[in-house]
Amino acid sequence: MDYVGPIASGIPMSLLLTVLGFAIGAVGGIPLALMRRSRLRSVRFISRSIIELLRGIPPIVWIFLVYFGIGNGLIKVEPVPAAIVAFGLISCAYLAEIYRGGLSAVHRGQWEAGVALGLSHGDQLARIIGPQVMRYSIPAAATYAIGLLKDTSIAFTIGAQEILFFADSQAKQSSDALTPYLVAAAAYIILTVPCAWFARSVDRRLRVRIAS
Amino acid sequence: MAQPVTDPAAAKSTGMDVSLEHIVKAYGEHVVLDDVSLSVREGEVCAIIGPSGAGKSTLLRCINLLERPDSGTIRVGDTTIDAGQEVGGKQLHGLRRQVGMVFQSFNLFPHLTVLRNIALPQERVLGRSRAEAEDRAMELLQRVGLGDKPAQYPSRCSGGQQQRVAIARALALDPKVMLFDEPTSALDPELGLEVLAVMRELADEGMTMIVVTHEMQFARDVSDHLIVMGHGTVLEEGQPEKIFTDPATDRTRRFLRAVLER
Ligand SMILES: Nc1ncnc2c1ncn2[C@@H]1O[C@H](COP(=O)(O)OP(=O)(O)OP(=O)(O)O)[C@@H](O)[C@H]1O
Ligand SMILES: [Mg+2]
Repeated sequence: MDYVGPIASGIPMSLLLTVLGFAIGAVGGIPLALMRRSRLRSVRFISRSIIELLRGIPPIVWIFLVYFGIGNGLIKVEPVPAAIVAFGLISCAYLAEIYRGGLSAVHRGQWEAGVALGLSHGDQLARIIGPQVMRYSIPAAATYAIGLLKDTSIAFTIGAQEILFFADSQAKQSSDALTPYLVAAAAYIILTVPCAWFARSVDRRLRVRIAS
Repeated sequence: MAQPVTDPAAAKSTGMDVSLEHIVKAYGEHVVLDDVSLSVREGEVCAIIGPSGAGKSTLLRCINLLERPDSGTIRVGDTTIDAGQEVGGKQLHGLRRQVGMVFQSFNLFPHLTVLRNIALPQERVLGRSRAEAEDRAMELLQRVGLGDKPAQYPSRCSGGQQQRVAIARALALDPKVMLFDEPTSALDPELGLEVLAVMRELADEGMTMIVVTHEMQFARDVSDHLIVMGHGTVLEEGQPEKIFTDPATDRTRRFLRAVLER
């Protein structure tokens, strides 16, 4: 039972990778989602290609690409920044697709009202459409964030000291290969379940307002 | 004293607030507006009626270029736009500044309170301060009978209340002309009455209004000028009472009989 302490010490790193990766995606997904709806076919094609590329490559390959590929002899890339960059890139693509869904959920009349009132395009996006898209996106974004938290476990392969990293080293030090991984499993459950509850309750509260 | 021709006031001297000339609009092969012209005097209430698919909404939406006609001229106040040509952002802004619009589906912003719905556009479009915009919003809310609702979210308001907020939101930008596209069609009859009462008041105050409506009572009693549309053209126009009692065309007669006997 003295596995719990060491393994729990990986929790902050797991959370750090998740939060920063998600934050990069939450910002980077915005231009990608807007480009996806551009009037110009070429712009739509570019954003779509970027999204497919980011999503088409498995996370672990992205991590290796950034850590070993970019972090060659010349540039030294630390494991944690490498993992954050990799998860950030992937999150850009997933969140762009989530925002795109949110954008199409906003009624056409919202745009029309904004146009008729004479609001600029920027104002419409920032003040009218954007906030609604964010609210529509909460459930899918929360599901994605939970998935991302679990995916951060692969960062242990490049030596990021997160939950699985410690579980793995505990397992190697002792003859017991099962318990450390079970403790790791419990840690992920304890982190993700309240996350899902919280997201659901926020969603419910905001949805009451938006449903019109 | 003679007015110089370049004076913006000279444009007004025609007494027309809105005029549309030779508006043509097609979706692919389907001609929705076929050379439609219309003019509305300052302070006049113009009602547009006609069967579904006649092109009433499309015509209304051409006035503030929510829909772009293929050709024709649109003039509102001192802004003239030739639909066949490139329209500059400034021109477009000038046009929309003078035109308020009320939609069938209200289109209030669901994430903003009633007060913010009315204040935000004033701040962003007219550059009013927040305090100034909210004062004006409160004043208008009182005027439409919703002085007790500023903090409410639209989803908590009845349809009739939402539509009155939408009217206040448009009025807050001090438009020259108000466009209404079937403002009561989505409402139960008694809620529609609240909205019609506000519109009647606006008309009495001298607001220039163009109203697409299925409310024959309103068209007959409140409007000064009635337009009957069918198949993308104006079938008939003139004094409402005259058209209701003695329509000039057979198609108008059939349409009126169908709606009045319902
Ligand atoms: N975006 C569009 N694309 C293609 N056709 C359209 C579009 N908008 C309108 N139409 C067609 O144009 C015609 C006129 O439509 P419009 O909405 O102006 O009619 P309306 O007189 O307002 O009818 P209603 O009383 O049902 O509102 C209809 O035949 C409609 O199908
Ligand atoms: Mg219509």
